[in-house]
Amino acid sequence: MAKRRLKNDNVRVLDSLPMLIVCIAAVSALYFVCLTKLASNNTMRYMIQIFLYITMAQMWNLLSGFTGMTSLGQQLNIGLAGYSVAIATTKLHLSLGMGLLMGVGVSVVVALLMSLILYRMEGMYFSIATWVVAEIFEKLFLNWKYVGQGSGMTIRVVPYPRINEICVVALTVCVLAVAAVYFLLRTRIGLGLTAMRDDISAASAVGVNVFNHKLFVYTIAAAFTAVAAGIFLVNKGIVYPESGFSISWTISLVFIVIVGGSGTVGGPIVGAVIYVFLQEYLARFPGWSNIILGAITILTILFLPKGIMGTLQEKLGFEIFSAKRFSYSKRR
Amino acid sequence: MSDALLSIKNLSAGYGDFVAVESVDLAVKKGQIVSLIGINGAGKTTLMHTVAGLHKPASGKVLFGGEDITGLPADKIVAKGLSLVPQGGRCFTRMSVQDNLLMGSFPRSARKNAKQTLEHIYELFPDLGEMKQRPAGNLSGGQRQMVAIGRALMGDPECLIFDEISLGLSPAVINDIYKKIKRINEEENTSIILIEQDIHRALKASDAFYVMLKGRVALSGQSDEIDSETLKKAYFGI
Repeated sequence: MAKRRLKNDNVRVLDSLPMLIVCIAAVSALYFVCLTKLASNNTMRYMIQIFLYITMAQMWNLLSGFTGMTSLGQQLNIGLAGYSVAIATTKLHLSLGMGLLMGVGVSVVVALLMSLILYRMEGMYFSIATWVVAEIFEKLFLNWKYVGQGSGMTIRVVPYPRINEICVVALTVCVLAVAAVYFLLRTRIGLGLTAMRDDISAASAVGVNVFNHKLFVYTIAAAFTAVAAGIFLVNKGIVYPESGFSISWTISLVFIVIVGGSGTVGGPIVGAVIYVFLQEYLARFPGWSNIILGAITILTILFLPKGIMGTLQEKLGFEIFSAKRFSYSKRR
Repeated sequence: MSDALLSIKNLSAGYGDFVAVESVDLAVKKGQIVSLIGINGAGKTTLMHTVAGLHKPASGKVLFGGEDITGLPADKIVAKGLSLVPQGGRCFTRMSVQDNLLMGSFPRSARKNAKQTLEHIYELFPDLGEMKQRPAGNLSGGQRQMVAIGRALMGDPECLIFDEISLGLSPAVINDIYKKIKRINEEENTSIILIEQDIHRALKASDAFYVMLKGRVALSGQSDEIDSETLKKAYFGI
């Protein structure tokens, strides 16, 4: 793995051609495992969860860690996507693909509509407002007869895809999400987003169109979260208001990003792997899992504020999937 | 007033019911350095934030290069060539020095010559060239101020507004920054507005001045023609 030492800097960056080769090899190996059913169904279930949590956490990290828009309402996209897939497949007898597309469409439309209210707020007010909007939608779905009110809906996909097929789709979405965040951060828009995170007023003063940037990143996050959530809930087979619109989704994403490393592309990958295995282990202690996850999050904030990846990068002096730009010509 | 690059006419702005700036007229010619002096709370920053599109005006007009820019969003105003260096530098702390500078060429209009401008900035501030990959959050106050100036220059502005650039800096650093400002003015013929509390430094550096008090212009004139007693009275409102 090539380590490029930068002039005037003590950070080495692992983003050269060998790093790309390692990434391609790892992704190819995962595709091979899924396609050839080399792993057991149980292992593939874990893999699906990891891929989908990486996708959703990557998007929360893009919003919070890179743009400074800390949303506490990611469950809105998850619930909307779940219900869209359920309506499309169970009520309208459409394919899973159409259902996922519908989920993305509905989430994006709602995100665009919410922009009119939410983008007038910043910081804590934005966070609370996103949570409140998600709660309102939960109550709406609780009282909506067409979607089964509090009992929710079963998701009947015909023909039901095989587990390795779901695994391939989840992996593809995950790779696209990581690549989208990585490449987005290296563009001029990405530069604007990180500037907004550091100082929104100064970003505006140098010419960043704050509204358009917020709209763009919020819509991208809504779309990817919706498609990942759609696949997730198909795998569960049921969606109801208290599960689809539960704040626990966002709590999971916060845990993954904080533990993995906020503001790093590698953080959500590490965090998601830890979260899925920890969740499985903590299932033996019903009632305690959220307390333990919360305690780990607080301890991480206290003792590893940059998360695992952020701390490792700092201690060892390297960065994986760095969003830094190294020369003017390269960035253009 | 007709040859003015920036012309502020009867501009008022405030926060809710509070009027911070009231019926202000101000003009800056091409290549001129104008100082805007006043005590804390006089309305200097609100006035210039309103001009730069960071604050909505209540009434009045702002003309830049003869074009009405009143109430335009900041990104549109920056693209027209009017940039603000905010108080305290306001760098993007987690971004590198170079990325901070490149943020200055964010408007499409500034991208064409960005590479040459960047080289020019490294020549103007050699220290920045030595620390281009360092996070801006690790810089000293003076270095941050240099980054903020360089960032504003990246937009290839016709007019630069410096908001209390000397705030919290040592006299030696302030002197150095003022020399750079003079050089920018002379080499690029860039019009400059200095928002300052340090009367003597501001007058020494500028061609013309405006004194603000309680949101209004209390006194204006040529910097080399004013006597200190008249200025003191206008500054403190006595």
